[in-house]
Parts: sequence; C-alpha cells; structure tokens
Amino acid sequence: MGNQPNSINLVIAEFLIRLFSDSVIELEEGYLPFVDQREDRDAEVTMQCFGSIPSLPFQPDELVFEAKNEQQRFYSIYRTGTGLGFIFYNQENIDVIQQIAMLDETFSHWKVYSEATPETSIMPLKYPLGPIVMHYLTLKTNAVMMHASCAFDGKNARIFTGFSGAGKSTMSKLWSAAGNGIVNDDRVIIRKQENGYSVYNTPMYYADIPKVAPLSALYIISHSPENKMKKLSGALAISKVMAFCIQNNFEKQFIESRLSFFSELCASVPVYELGFVPDESVVKFILENENR
Amino acid sequence: MDIQTLYQLKSKFVAREVGNELILVPLTGNIAQMSELFTLNETAKFIWENSTEETTLEDMENAITETFTIDRETATKDIDNFLKQLEKFLIKK
Repeated sequence: MGNQPNSINLVIAEFLIRLFSDSVIELEEGYLPFVDQREDRDAEVTMQCFGSIPSLPFQPDELVFEAKNEQQRFYSIYRTGTGLGFIFYNQENIDVIQQIAMLDETFSHWKVYSEATPETSIMPLKYPLGPIVMHYLTLKTNAVMMHASCAFDGKNARIFTGFSGAGKSTMSKLWSAAGNGIVNDDRVIIRKQENGYSVYNTPMYYADIPKVAPLSALYIISHSPENKMKKLSGALAISKVMAFCIQNNFEKQFIESRLSFFSELCASVPVYELGFVPDESVVKFILENENR
Repeated sequence: MDIQTLYQLKSKFVAREVGNELILVPLTGNIAQMSELFTLNETAKFIWENSTEETTLEDMENAITETFTIDRETATKDIDNFLKQLEKFLIKK
C-alpha cells in the first residue's frame, strides 16, 4: 500500500485516469507502478473521490445489472437520470455498503464515495471498482478488456483465453520458462493502433510495471490429452473470443461496440482453438503450427 | 419454443452480420461465463430476420422453400432445429 497526495494520475493502456480528493488517496500495491507524474495532457477519465458515503446520491431509476451468485451479491448498477449509479456491497456483510459511485453518460467523470480509514485516507479503486473503471474506460475509448494471459517473444504477443481453469496461468509459466516475457497472466486490455493491435497489462493485486506488446495471435485454450489446434474464422471466431471479453451486457450500444471491435480484430489477427498438454511441448507445437 | 416466441425474443438480442452468418448476443446477463455466443448459419439467419409478429410456421416454411429451393419437409426441420438450438442456448445462459 502507498499513501499518495490528493491528486494522482494513473496511466493504464496509455489512457490517463486522474483521481482527486480532499482526502488522502491510498492505492493498492498493484496500481503504484501505473502512477504517472506528468500533468501535460488531458485525462480520458476523471475520478472525484469523497471520504464518506452519503445516503444514495442518485435516483435509482432502473436496476440494469447485478453482479451476484447464489451466495453473494457484489455490486448493482442502476440507470440514473444522468448516467449510471453503482452500489458496492461489503463482502463480509452485504447489508453494508462499501462504496457508491456515479458515472456520467459520457463515461468520462466518476464520483466515488468511500468510507475513510481510521488514518483518514480513502481507497477509491478498491476491488471491484478498479476493474470496473477500466472496463468503462475501454467502452469510452473503443478498446476491450479480456480475461486472458499474454506472452511476448520480443516480436509477437500471443493471447491465451478460456474458462477459469483452462490453463491461462499455466500457459504463462510455460512461455516464461521458454524465455518469453509475460504481459500478464489474467487480465489484459487490447487497443487498435495504426499498425495493428497492442496488448497492455492492467494493475493487479501485485505490483508489476506497465507493459505493452504487439498482438499477433489469439488462442482459445483448454486442456487436452494431446496438443492440437484449429484456426477459426468468421462468426465462430468472433463469438468465441468475445465470450471472454469482460463486460456488463445490459446496453445495446455496449454490445454493438464490442461486436464491431471483435469483428475487425478477428479479421486481422488469427484466432485458434488450442487443446494443449500442460508441459513445455505446447510452446514448440504452437511455433511450428501457427500461420500454416 | 414456437415461431411467435422467436419474434418476441428478437428485442432481447443484439445481432451482427458476418458474411452469411449472424451472431446473436443476449442483452441481459453476464456472458463472461459462456463458451461462445449464438451463431446462426444462412438458413437460421433467414428465419431470424424474417420472423415478424404475424409470421406463422406455414409462412416461414413457404418463405424458406422459395428462397433456398428446398422441400417443405427440410424447411420444417430447419425451423424446428433452429428453435430447439436457440431454446437450449437460452437455458444454458
């Protein structure tokens, strides 16, 4: 953890997020390498952070999304007159509100209400709000955030995505052992650039420096008794890749924007379905068989 | 599921055309746990795009036999298969 002054710039995937508050802002360890001291550019997103939680500061017109499972409720999203309203529940006692946040309809300005700690600092990007801020940042800027690991051999970055337990972290370890760099082993942002697509890491619960690499291929992975791969195309490629994109799927325009992004991405970056044996043979197998 | 239910469902999906196929994304729920979205082949895409509030099964069978030059029995099977697959997808979701 690190205590920061009352205004902080974070640069994530080359986007600038500016947090400011009357309270001292505290960041989790994983965000610290993304702090940027430069003040010479406009922020894509601003976050005005408050050190107390008021009674509901927005009119909850319509409940549009609830992140919950059979045991727990994590957060709720409401449509309000001026954008979206978020309520985050304390996971030790879901009757207690951990944070309230409001996002304007341009997805540019957040107001975040958090309870100050006994040391009178606040932690506005406390999980899960941090990833949610990144998610809405990608919607505003035509980028996407995915559950995926990404390995970089110095020339090509390969993304590996799939269900939880499919082997994303295993794949990272295998590529790392083979001498490759790892952009991240769980969550990445993809941006379209003039010359192709770039992959970026995002702040995690642990500290890691910001990284970027040029995307050369996407793999949808699963464990298998033997290494095998099949190139996917068209609607099937788009639908399989998009299924692992992180999203709140309640707004037509969000889905249309994602479909458009992945249609272009899958038309220019090869997508493979990969069944793999979790040992070093898969690295060689991929290098020998991709682009055939 | 019948052909009238299909029309009612249309507003709950966002569709995108890719070549001769169509991708359907449900408007509610979190798709992060789905293995893939729902993709429609050329015939299924035709059924999806041409179902209206008034469309009957017979109307759709006629439209398919005329457009794809297939017999009525095959058209009926295609419609039935598509509706069953969509129903299965919605249950899985």
